[in-house]
Amino acid sequence: MNYVIKTEDIKKVYHMGSVDVHALKSANIQIESGEFVSIMGPSGSGKSTLMHILGCLDSPSSGQYFLDNEEVSQFSKNKLAWIRNIKIGFVFQTFNLLPHLNILKNVELPLMYAGIHAGKRGKIASDLLDRLGLGDRLHHKPSELSGGQRQRVAIARAVINNPAIILADEPTGNLDSQSGSDILTIFKELHQEKNTIIMVTHDPHIAKIADRTITLKDGEVINGHISQ
Amino acid sequence: MAISLSESIQVGFQDFWTRKLRSLVTILGIILGTMSIIVILSLVNGMNQQTMKWMTERGGLTKITVSRNWEAKNPLNLPEFFTLKEVNLIKNLIPEADYFNATIYNRSQVKFASNNTFSRMVGTFTDFEKVEEWTADRGRFIKSFDIDESNNVIVLGNTIKEELFGSKNPIGKTVTVENQQLTVIGVMKYRFMESSGNIFTDNPFEYMNRTSVIPISTMINKFGQKDAIDELTIKAKSPEEAIVLKEKLEDIIFNLRRGQAIFNVESAKEEAEKMQESAAMFKIIFFFISSISLLVGGIVIMNIMLASVQERTREIGIRLAVGARRFDIFLQFLIQSVVITFIGGVIGVITGVSIVKYVGKFLNVSTMVDMSMIYIALLVSVGVGLIFGIFPSLRASNLNPVDALRYE
Repeated sequence: MNYVIKTEDIKKVYHMGSVDVHALKSANIQIESGEFVSIMGPSGSGKSTLMHILGCLDSPSSGQYFLDNEEVSQFSKNKLAWIRNIKIGFVFQTFNLLPHLNILKNVELPLMYAGIHAGKRGKIASDLLDRLGLGDRLHHKPSELSGGQRQRVAIARAVINNPAIILADEPTGNLDSQSGSDILTIFKELHQEKNTIIMVTHDPHIAKIADRTITLKDGEVINGHISQ
Repeated sequence: MAISLSESIQVGFQDFWTRKLRSLVTILGIILGTMSIIVILSLVNGMNQQTMKWMTERGGLTKITVSRNWEAKNPLNLPEFFTLKEVNLIKNLIPEADYFNATIYNRSQVKFASNNTFSRMVGTFTDFEKVEEWTADRGRFIKSFDIDESNNVIVLGNTIKEELFGSKNPIGKTVTVENQQLTVIGVMKYRFMESSGNIFTDNPFEYMNRTSVIPISTMINKFGQKDAIDELTIKAKSPEEAIVLKEKLEDIIFNLRRGQAIFNVESAKEEAEKMQESAAMFKIIFFFISSISLLVGGIVIMNIMLASVQERTREIGIRLAVGARRFDIFLQFLIQSVVITFIGGVIGVITGVSIVKYVGKFLNVSTMVDMSMIYIALLVSVGVGLIFGIFPSLRASNLNPVDALRYE
């Protein structure tokens, strides 16, 4: 089986003074290429920690993490930066666009760090924004756009380098229901295009559009860790 | 490098522009620092240039002067003048000299018809015009036969001629000096130098224009002057040889006066070097003063950059999330810091040059701006940005992506 994500006994311990906090006790999950997986769980269940580790923003305290058949848990910080740039696309609840750059420049950002020539970047980014219906807004600042539009920009930024996985952290959490469903439609389309999507949510209705749901509780995966 | 240098610079300028007011306040220290570098360097350069001109106009760097050392005590009561015999002896001991001249100074009233004025009188040999690089530009200078025959001839200084003759031609006319009738054979060339901050006179060479020249033999034989020569002036073949020749002359003259420093031997080349040395000291001292303002400017930059890193923590988190390496973040902030100080440097250079041009002219101070100073000032400003940008940039690049993204 070709797993794009495979974790083996991942643990994450935070040292808060003299107390050790076990944010993630033992996570074993496998995600196949092209799957749409949602991650659910109450707050404090370790969702965010798991997301950060899967997104290579953080390293596990122990255990192994295979991303696209590479063991990345012991990678150097520079190598992790490269992984985040090429293999991972993030979509955040709060969009996380750079406010002083126009949306074209925002979408170009991962291309810039990938070392793609400036002239080529604009073309790639504007084509993509065009496809997402923002072709007439290229030079607008994020603050001039609606929430739904901003999240579309964020999705464009996430997929611009054709990543191996798209990680979305409550992508509709800050949107009204109409914009939220528009965004979910985009994710569905991305899924149809064989993208691997991992979405954190606490809304069971949203989780339903995923192929399966991984449920976490108290730092442990209690359900859905492998595909059925 | 994932992100190109030109791009980082562009981002730096963008950052500067989005926070215009803050950036401008931040760079004030740098502006003042670079401005003072420009002002100081151009003042010192102007001084040096003025010194060199002074030296050149008074006989150039190959000139050596032997004159009375007024600071020396004379307990043995040795002669404080040279005799003609001694002068000849000295002359024969230094055949390597290009020109050799001896002078007696005096000050006398010069009369023509009802006009009279005081003139500095110089009794001298014909080499005077070679050693001083100064001669008559109307009529002729003293010739050797004037000296052989103790002729009653005089070459007037330009101002003396003006005061006695006005616009009339003085050549061939007879003037009276201390009961001697002297025929005017020439007028010395007018000497002028633009004064640099000298409030006493417009022309520091005016004393030369008030100098009249007669044959040394006439001075000795007809003006009741004893065989007492005040000054020797010698021209070496090159400034380098002048320094060697000066040492040799010192030995000779020392020996002539039984080891007593009755006379000073000075080489123009050495004097110029001394003046340039003190100008260099001056430069260094003022450089330290301007570095204090650059230091303060640098600390301000560091402070502002630290605030900027704090403010942009989330941005750093976002950049890290989409693939920026720590080095990219480091470079982004370092370049921003350098851009800020570079802009400060440019403004400093512009204001500095304007101050030098306009205020310098207004205060009648001679200044000189050249490209090397501008490069130095810009280099220093960039250096300040680099040095004081390192710490904030390291701080930015060491942020943990998760914490940075969570930062509100």
